Amino acid sequence: MKAKRVLALSLALALTFSVAGVMTGCGKDGKTGKDGKKVTLEVLTQRTDLDQNGTLAKVTKAFEDANNCTVKYISYTNYADDVSTRMGTNDFGDVLMIPDSVKLEELSNFFEPLDTYTNASTKWDCVDSKMYEDQVYGYPTALNIAGGIVYNKTVFENAGITKMPTTPDEFIADLKLIAEKCEGVIPLYTNFAAAWPLAQWQGLVCSASGDSSYETNILKDKSTLFEEGNAYYTVYKMMYDVLSDKTLREPDPSSTDWDGSKVALAKGQIGTLVLGSWGVAQIREEAVKNNLDPDTIGYMVMPSNVDGKQYAQISADYCMGVNKNSTQKELAKKFVEWYCADSGIATSEMAICAVKGSEKPAFMEGVNTFINEATPEEYQGVFNKIDKESEIGTWDTDVANFKIKMCEAAFANKGESEFESIIKDVNTKWEASRKEIMGE
Amino acid sequence: MKNKKTFGQWVTSYTGQKYLTTFLFLLIPLVLLVVFTFIPAINMVIFSFQSRDQFGITVEWVGLQNYKTVFDTSADYLITFKNSIYYMIGSAFQLGFALLLATILCSKIKFKGLFKGVLFFPYLMNGVAVSLIFRRFFQMGDGIVTQNGTLNTIITSLGGEAIPFLSNPNIANFCLVFASMWKYMGFDILMFIGAIQSISQDVYEASDLDGVNPWQRFKYIVFPSIKSIISLQLILSIKGAVSVFDIPYIITGGKFGTNTFVIKTIETGFVFKKFGLASAMAVVLLMIIIVVTIIQKVLFKEDSDYVPKRRRYFRDKEVAK
Repeated sequence: MKAKRVLALSLALALTFSVAGVMTGCGKDGKTGKDGKKVTLEVLTQRTDLDQNGTLAKVTKAFEDANNCTVKYISYTNYADDVSTRMGTNDFGDVLMIPDSVKLEELSNFFEPLDTYTNASTKWDCVDSKMYEDQVYGYPTALNIAGGIVYNKTVFENAGITKMPTTPDEFIADLKLIAEKCEGVIPLYTNFAAAWPLAQWQGLVCSASGDSSYETNILKDKSTLFEEGNAYYTVYKMMYDVLSDKTLREPDPSSTDWDGSKVALAKGQIGTLVLGSWGVAQIREEAVKNNLDPDTIGYMVMPSNVDGKQYAQISADYCMGVNKNSTQKELAKKFVEWYCADSGIATSEMAICAVKGSEKPAFMEGVNTFINEATPEEYQGVFNKIDKESEIGTWDTDVANFKIKMCEAAFANKGESEFESIIKDVNTKWEASRKEIMGE
Repeated sequence: MKNKKTFGQWVTSYTGQKYLTTFLFLLIPLVLLVVFTFIPAINMVIFSFQSRDQFGITVEWVGLQNYKTVFDTSADYLITFKNSIYYMIGSAFQLGFALLLATILCSKIKFKGLFKGVLFFPYLMNGVAVSLIFRRFFQMGDGIVTQNGTLNTIITSLGGEAIPFLSNPNIANFCLVFASMWKYMGFDILMFIGAIQSISQDVYEASDLDGVNPWQRFKYIVFPSIKSIISLQLILSIKGAVSVFDIPYIITGGKFGTNTFVIKTIETGFVFKKFGLASAMAVVLLMIIIVVTIIQKVLFKEDSDYVPKRRRYFRDKEVAK
């Protein structure tokens, strides 16, 4: 008897709540209910800043109106990790930035093919970044110079530097000038504690080679990563030499602060930061926030030259793809095209829109830029596979990474021999994994 | 002969209600335990025999290959246990300090409760919070982007020169161990206080009559009574030392020679996408902890046997009554 009563009571309670829920639900949907069924497109993005300050919503209004739909952005601070976890299910939004954790050969398991490469490459630049076997799975949201050096023009002027460095030695000499002549200015800030800024040095490598198929050629020639005088060697030797001199960097690399370093560069308290060109927009923004002239922020390419000419490699930022399990693939594809081509977000971020022939931002004027050739089918994903298998991690900053080891050795001033032994170790690991994956 | 009850009757009866309530109360924790602990743990063991990445699109069974890699001494996996030694030595000191403080707190002093609370508080704090505090504490500023932390401020105000504590491979581990000691000492103190307070007052009185000094009292009365708690804490600290993670991960990120096995496991899984290998590393860690636990059980068997025997004696007496 009692049990029945309890049951009845709980049922009644459950009903009350669900009715209440339905009613409030109706109330909320009442406004949009008028114009029939409006589809919602869920878009996952790494741009928490643009999402939170309302820029994305403002820009997207045009697309929503034209296609009678609602676009819902979900932004993640820790994008690649969080979204990779979410991709364990089928529910990972309709449109998303393709995280690099997805191997090229596995793209088709998650993403809808957008076009063939033959077709897409007539309209887009760098569209080979997320392609496998002639199928393109994502368009680049923006193109940037992969690696370069953001610097403060006033600091360079005060140090009496008139000519931009064209070799690593000149660069180091300039940093020394800053250290001598500018009191209280850190010539180069490593941001070592955050670790990821060290991966920005890797962005310099392709530029230093001046070769548009550099990685493919390493595989083709079966050469190792570090050879005296090659691009890897030049870039990381420069890093090692700069960091070995403790007057050229911050005193305690374990106590650095990325957000603070942007402001300090804008204020002229830091001379240089090694960053991809995406960093320029962010630091200019800091300058504006602090009532400083954003035009004091300059950008120089890798100070090295191939036959007297300096190069800068242009590469794709995150590529945007369509979830294979999406229920609105056509609309989603339309959105990707719009976002990457017509939204104007890339341009407003001082990057290049991926559509061929797009305008370059002013600071890239006069720079010899090049775009990497598409990787031939037989080498697609191979470089990355060797890189991960050997645990070298050219773009990673794990504790045992060669970049971290080099920095630690440089901070402890261990000298040339330590550098040689680190690169020897990298080469051995590379050789072993290359033989395992590609055969002799 | 009892009448056969229907299920409805059984449920409403006293026994039925008792079982039903017990079952319902246990249901939620059990479901949580199974879903978030047992299923992932079983999966982890299965993964450890596979070569796979996070998504598990291409899965290959590799047998014991992953375990061979972990135990390969030329690879960098097993070597990361090296830093656990710092934490083990640290915890020995930590136990010493804790014992000292516990003894003091058990004597007649004022504000006992306050001191206990203050000393136990760090243990209640989240490991992340503790790590952030100590990152700030050991920081050395450049005067532009970052400012000196607490310790360096004191040093410089005394006329010394700021020291990059966390960027020196010779010091960094000690700083981390210090943070770890600070956090876990409160727990040890509480355990010791409990053990000391369980010593019968009669023993003290008897010893007072014999005219013992405080040191003798500690050596012959307190220490033997809490010996088992000390060994228990030592063994627990070994478990903690092999699986240390949050403090080094947040304060130094494992750099400057402060890497640990768990950090290495995470990087193997999430940076190099070797989920099979990372799972094998986790299983190895689990095995080590199980072995330590077994050792602990074996070592403390004597003591734990001793107590039930006495209890059995009393119980038997009661039954006989």
